[in-house]
Amino acid sequence: MGRIIVANRRGHQLVEWDADTDTEEAREGIVEAERILREARDKGCAVSRKVGSQHVLDDGAFDPYAEEYQIIAPIAGG
Amino acid sequence: MLAITEPLRALWRRVTAWDLLPTPGPEGSLRDGPVERPWRYYWDHLPKRTAGADFSARDYQQARQRAEEVARTTLGDDLWQQLMMDGHLDVPSHRYAGVTYRLRVGHRIEVVCAAGARSPWPYAYLCINPTYPLPELEFFAQLYLYARDREDTLVRVAAPQPWDQRLGRTF
Repeated sequence: MGRIIVANRRGHQLVEWDADTDTEEAREGIVEAERILREARDKGCAVSRKVGSQHVLDDGAFDPYAEEYQIIAPIAGG
Repeated sequence: MLAITEPLRALWRRVTAWDLLPTPGPEGSLRDGPVERPWRYYWDHLPKRTAGADFSARDYQQARQRAEEVARTTLGDDLWQQLMMDGHLDVPSHRYAGVTYRLRVGHRIEVVCAAGARSPWPYAYLCINPTYPLPELEFFAQLYLYARDREDTLVRVAAPQPWDQRLGRTF
């Protein structure tokens, strides 16, 4: 089971998918997760991926077998 | 007739699809369903250190609780313990020798220079905010990732300031 932590004013909300189950619903979950990451990157967000016990910023393509991604807010000075 | 109405319809579709008119955050996020996608909207109109008029005291409390969970997940247990013990995390610059970024929750970054090292900025503090409101612990963990993994981005956007102050876009 993979998940995206969507950091927002709610603290965070989760988008989850299951890459180990071959059903229409599971496939749609993967497509939706990939779409959210792409949309966030297109809008200037960064994305981190859990590696070991902590997150690192990641520019790689969406990996449905990743354990956890997080959407990181764009930053601005001032 | 169709030649006139179709462009108008297309324009209206683009307007309602948020392509033309920027949408304010609190109102726009209501369209998102169960997961808010704040990058779609603008938030500059909100008063400092707030998340929107639709946010209750309970919403703030729950957001801060969730932020602590995710900040701990983002940093990992070792860095989290270090933050709890020291009240800050230090990230050595890979770009400027002898320069360290000192991060405190909800505050500007302090630029700390080793003996003999020279800061590239005229002031000791760097003001950096998220472009949409976030609980301060959550943004702290994100800013740590930028300082460690994307120093170029941090350097590009940083606004040097002569004193420390609470960030305006976190709460």
